[in-house]
Amino acid sequence: MTTTDIHALVGAYALDAVDDLERAAFERHILACDGCRGEVDELRETASRLADSTWSVPPPQLRTDVLAAIGRTRQLPPGESARPEPDARAAVSRWRRYTAGAAAACILATGAGAATWAVQEQRVRAKNTAVAAAELREARTQAILAAPDLVVRTAPMIGGGRVTVASSAQQAASVVSLRAERAPATDRAFQLWTIRDVAAPAPVDAGLLAPGEASAAQIVEGVPGNEVFAVSEEPAGGSPQPTQVVAQVLLT
Amino acid sequence: MTERGAARRPDHLSAVPDAPPGPATDIGDLVRAVARGDEPAFARLYDLVSPRVYGLIRRVLRDPAQAEEVAQEVLVEVWRTAARFDAARGSATSWIFTIAHRRAVDRVRSEQASSDRTMKVGVASVETPYDEVVDEVAGRLERRQVRHCLDDLTELQRQAVTLAYYQGHSYREVAELLKTPLPTVKTRMRDGLIRLRDCLGVEVTS
Ligand SMILES: [Zn+2]
Repeated sequence: MTTTDIHALVGAYALDAVDDLERAAFERHILACDGCRGEVDELRETASRLADSTWSVPPPQLRTDVLAAIGRTRQLPPGESARPEPDARAAVSRWRRYTAGAAAACILATGAGAATWAVQEQRVRAKNTAVAAAELREARTQAILAAPDLVVRTAPMIGGGRVTVASSAQQAASVVSLRAERAPATDRAFQLWTIRDVAAPAPVDAGLLAPGEASAAQIVEGVPGNEVFAVSEEPAGGSPQPTQVVAQVLLT
Repeated sequence: MTERGAARRPDHLSAVPDAPPGPATDIGDLVRAVARGDEPAFARLYDLVSPRVYGLIRRVLRDPAQAEEVAQEVLVEVWRTAARFDAARGSATSWIFTIAHRRAVDRVRSEQASSDRTMKVGVASVETPYDEVVDEVAGRLERRQVRHCLDDLTELQRQAVTLAYYQGHSYREVAELLKTPLPTVKTRMRDGLIRLRDCLGVEVTS
């Protein structure tokens, strides 16, 4: 590949749209070419912004699994360079591809296979229950979001982030989405409230998030007819009344 | 849809602190704390970035179960390699999404190698995941800027960039899909990203 060719790969490289060999060649190239190195940093930063629109609530189990996994995972020390040797990376990537099937076959062939299978079976059962619950919620969510009288309101959270309340009076419910940039401490939790009458306020508990949880999307029944929807930060078990309000959405 | 919530705040709910509660949660600071082995910092980082990491991977892979698996690999990789994050080459957020995107694309390609991707995609696209519907509402504001800037590209630039980024296609595949010569696709990816960069006001100060 000529040098002219390789400069031209900068966009495709930033989008991960090159093959392993081109990736390795380009990474070797930017060690020597400051122009491409500066440009690729900017274009990669730009490409990452495309992820802004891909927000999706991960399954709660993922948090448990990841936090357990890091407890078992040794960290790398600071290095000269974050980039592995280009050739090594390409080789590893190719190796991984060719051996993935072989590795799976190995596991099944050994005694560990039975244990692995049992664990997976259990996961499948747990998943089926979760899937059934998710399907019910999905049907309800779609009914609310598809309601002809849907009104969507949103407000910023103190400390960054946003609460969105999509309400349908016909469905007598709302879909509430909360995404805080600042997670509460692990012994604190966000609590949701409805307030019928601002003139004579008596906040009613509308749900409690898991401790330390920064984002959630859930159905809250009976929101329409209230004047305010509020979010507060409370001790992990929740409070009878809001003590530290972090967001309010006016509903009228 | 307006941001009226902040405008009129009922008096009884005035227990609002002047300063935001809790320790700082700048993503770059968190990554630096994680590099020192700070597990609580990692948990906070998780809460801040996992919806976008998972969302991005799921968008590329389309299969929620596989996306969960790859998201776990990526987030553990962030923990493992945090000390190698180099602020001179971009933001911590971008560093994390670069790892996520590359892993997702690697998975797509290895799936293609084992040639069962079509089937998986076919199965996965039947269901409409619950949170996707919610995100549609919740994400509208945040997406607006990216959408607006994507709309600003030429049709070919937009197709080349989105087919590669959101679907994990290589530029060769994109060229085939768009019936466009290879050098043109490479160029459109590059000038499309440059136009996006200018529209979004992205800067890397090193
Ligand atoms: Zn160059």
